[in-house]
Amino acid sequence: MTAAAETGSLLEHLFRHQAGRMVAHLTRLFGPANIDLAEETVQEAMLRALQSWPYEGVPENAGAWLFRVAHNAAIDAVRRNRLLSDKSDAIVRELSRSASAPEDSPDLEEQLRDDELRMIFMCCHPDISQDSSVALSLKTVSGFSVREIARAFLADDAAVAQRLVRAKSQIRERRLTLDMPRGAELKSRLASVLDVIYFMFNEGYTAHEGQDLIRRDLCFEALRLGCLVAASSIAIPSVHALVALMAFQVSRLAARVDEAGDPVPFEFQDHGLWDQHLIGLGFHHFDRSMAGDEVSEYHVQAAIAATYARAPEWHAVDWPMILRLYDQFLAINPSPVVALNRAVVVSKVQGPEEALDVIAPLENNSKLRSYYLLPAVRGHLLLELGRHSEAAACFRAALVCPCSEPERRFLRRKLTDCERATILGQS
Amino acid sequence: MPQYMLLLYSDPAAWMKLSPEEMQKATEKYFAWTKKPFTRDSKRLADEPGRVIRSVGGKPKATDGPYSETKEILGGYYTIEAASYDEAVKLSLEHPQLEYGTVEVRQVYGS
Repeated sequence: MTAAAETGSLLEHLFRHQAGRMVAHLTRLFGPANIDLAEETVQEAMLRALQSWPYEGVPENAGAWLFRVAHNAAIDAVRRNRLLSDKSDAIVRELSRSASAPEDSPDLEEQLRDDELRMIFMCCHPDISQDSSVALSLKTVSGFSVREIARAFLADDAAVAQRLVRAKSQIRERRLTLDMPRGAELKSRLASVLDVIYFMFNEGYTAHEGQDLIRRDLCFEALRLGCLVAASSIAIPSVHALVALMAFQVSRLAARVDEAGDPVPFEFQDHGLWDQHLIGLGFHHFDRSMAGDEVSEYHVQAAIAATYARAPEWHAVDWPMILRLYDQFLAINPSPVVALNRAVVVSKVQGPEEALDVIAPLENNSKLRSYYLLPAVRGHLLLELGRHSEAAACFRAALVCPCSEPERRFLRRKLTDCERATILGQS
Repeated sequence: MPQYMLLLYSDPAAWMKLSPEEMQKATEKYFAWTKKPFTRDSKRLADEPGRVIRSVGGKPKATDGPYSETKEILGGYYTIEAASYDEAVKLSLEHPQLEYGTVEVRQVYGS
């Protein structure tokens, strides 16, 4: 008996990733109008593994086994399904050919990667709304279930299922294809792919209620998709910039929350928990993003993340450099949230007084109304200046805004600090 | 030591609804049970309901059903060794099947 058959050990997320690439592969063969059939066929193959491996042992090359079984199920499905009648012979021929390809054949591997890439481009087509694009990418290319997507997005199952139905009907109605865009169209389609991947990443990275593991999976899945695009021949520097940005940020995931699930501010994070492999991956792509003249929003954000990653400790962070990058970031994306983040950096370089001046005009911005970070940042700055009772008022105002429970605990601790200091007459 | 059969019932349609990730987790858990030191045998049955053979008017006849109303069908079994029936039930409380269906524990006579 082989080692795998003996221990039953499987590669992490093997089923999920294998499902994604097989759905992409079969969708190319069946045609985009038949995604559902591709999904069902792959699901059947997964079920076969669940039904036999616990009793017969895990096959040595588990991925290839799943691939072969899915192909056989696909051949059956094509023969059964009348929708495909006019091209079923051609499909069966191709299925038989790839099913009999030697395991780990480089040609097949390349074909599968190409299929995945085409699928990503179709799922992220600008004709499909962004939240539907994310749901569809996760469902097809990433092998997530409706329930898993719903959990990751804090949405209910029915809403996610509805988004998927909408996306699939848009594919049919607009006759979207798996053809790779070329020339001028490639650029805008690629931009849309990057936006969807970044949206997916942020959805997982932003601290919402709860610290479900599925949110971490979402970050890594976005990184995986980014790497897949970056490894293809169509990658341009901004693709590498996005991958670098995501790699730097996920490298700190473990350090970002403590054992109780509470957020750990950057300055108190244990750098030993930063994932050096991911930081290395970040710098690899960051270097590659430097080719060409384009400076995208991803470039600037990756540069900021790289500056943090370079600092051996909090006190060694190159704040003036980060401030220059934030000035650039704000020029590309003049949003109040970016301006607020920049204010925090201003306080590091020029002091809390100046930072307070920077955020003063943001107080009236309607986009930041009920955004807890605005009063929270103000509170921190006032606290640094020793203006405890004013700071306390800010933290109280922040607590009225919607935010996650761990963040709420953090704000309450800050508020207690202020109140204690006020009682001690330091105010 | 006495042997006990754990008869595993579940709804085949429910399996199809699991995500690939959940299927992988289930595969690993069932596999671990197959490898438990007290497990003597484990087998899975096909999901398609089989034919029922009974004597009709003195002649054996194979029919499709009738099946019980419940959606759960016998999907497999484990044979385990345990000191007593209570011990067998206690061990079964840890069986992954309980996440997906039900387990019936029956003693095997003569073991």
